[in-house]
Amino acid sequence: MSMIEFKDVEKYYGDFHALKNVNLEIDAGETVVLIGPSGSGKSTLIRTVNGLEEIQQGQLLVDGFDLHDPKTDMNKIRKNVGMVFQHFNLYNNKSAIENIMLAPRLVLKRDEAENKRIAMELLEKVGLADKAANMPSELSGGQKQRIAIARSLAMKPKALLFDEPTSALDPEMIGDVLDVMRDIAADSSMTMLVVTHEMSFAKAVADRVIFMADGQILEDSSTDSFFKNPSEPRAQKFLSQVANH
Amino acid sequence: MVTLGILSAFSGDNINYLLGGLVITVGVSVISVIISLIVGSIIGIIQFEEIPYFSSFVGTINNIIRNLPLLLIIFFVYFALPRIGIHLPIFLATVIAMSTFESAMLAEIVRGGLASIDIGQFEGARANGLNNMETMWYIILPQAYKKMIPPIISQLISLVKDTSLASGIVLAEMTYRGQIVYAQNSTYIVPVLVMLTVVYFLLNYGLSLIAKWFDKKLA
Repeated sequence: MSMIEFKDVEKYYGDFHALKNVNLEIDAGETVVLIGPSGSGKSTLIRTVNGLEEIQQGQLLVDGFDLHDPKTDMNKIRKNVGMVFQHFNLYNNKSAIENIMLAPRLVLKRDEAENKRIAMELLEKVGLADKAANMPSELSGGQKQRIAIARSLAMKPKALLFDEPTSALDPEMIGDVLDVMRDIAADSSMTMLVVTHEMSFAKAVADRVIFMADGQILEDSSTDSFFKNPSEPRAQKFLSQVANH
Repeated sequence: MVTLGILSAFSGDNINYLLGGLVITVGVSVISVIISLIVGSIIGIIQFEEIPYFSSFVGTINNIIRNLPLLLIIFFVYFALPRIGIHLPIFLATVIAMSTFESAMLAEIVRGGLASIDIGQFEGARANGLNNMETMWYIILPQAYKKMIPPIISQLISLVKDTSLASGIVLAEMTYRGQIVYAQNSTYIVPVLVMLTVVYFLLNYGLSLIAKWFDKKLA
């Protein structure tokens, strides 16, 4: 069963046509990496999946809900679809562990002792059990991002969206975050959609790679065939440019 | 003569009378502060939320009120409302006029404070499954109020000073009572005005010290 399905989706910002006739299906459990030059619509696309951006035409089904239907309760989708942002977006007024515990407490009404136990487990999983009481301002970028990932996981989501999770990090911080993401991808039940410029991560973890440019999906192929043998000239050019770094 | 003026200006009766005025000044201030903090926050949030039509309607009224002199609002409530059958006791009329004006001023501070919060805080909360109310209550407002404390306190200092405008409708607050006292004897003018100066200064300087303390603590 597909977890995320775009059917002829169009998205505009005023006159700007941000997503053009997007058709895409992502199955439950799949790990899909979305790449492309900046301004290609990758972030816009991933942000439509949890309704942070609205679509203007077409159909977008997430976990069985139609996002274009005004009657759809967006919070029901967001309960099951977590998101990790480029700039972390941790709650600045809450400690690390409170960041993780807040949504399960409010949205899932999770029992407080259970909530704390799960939060501590997740902190250990991301290697930051000793930072539970720290405020976001006391954490490094890489630590913030790992807390943000733990915060998303605490909701026990079916799918996780990553919007350039390592782009704002110092190079020495990136590895720790990618390690955590690899762990999550290894869980076969988790659907992951990742916008990233980390090609080595894409090669190692992705089941599929989607290449976008100018608001369109130009290539959608298995990871192997994309990296060995990209069919689109623009994808070939993009890969050669990234490889030169 | 002057010394005598000072001594009799500060007779026990006069001092009691003036301090009674201080109680009214502080009373009007405190009640107006509480009302305008609540009403101002609600109006500020409505303006920030950009609810179609409603927010701009509320915003327009708010703008009109903010751009009127407070004295005019006080006159309106005390002298004009009785013409349409609403008779208010003088203390209540002052509190309503001051709360109306201060709510409009505070609403603007609240709206600006909310607008200063990074959009990422909203998106993080929404993506995390929180609804709008929860996002506001647990994440946005606590951060916004922290930033708003200094401008809110400076607005409250204006409020305390502006209670003296109610002497215009003969509310027996401190400034009005000062006038009554020095009307008895012109040698009382200087000592009474000096005393009022000192009392207003101490009240508001106290408030500004609190503002500074918060500023330092939050920096």
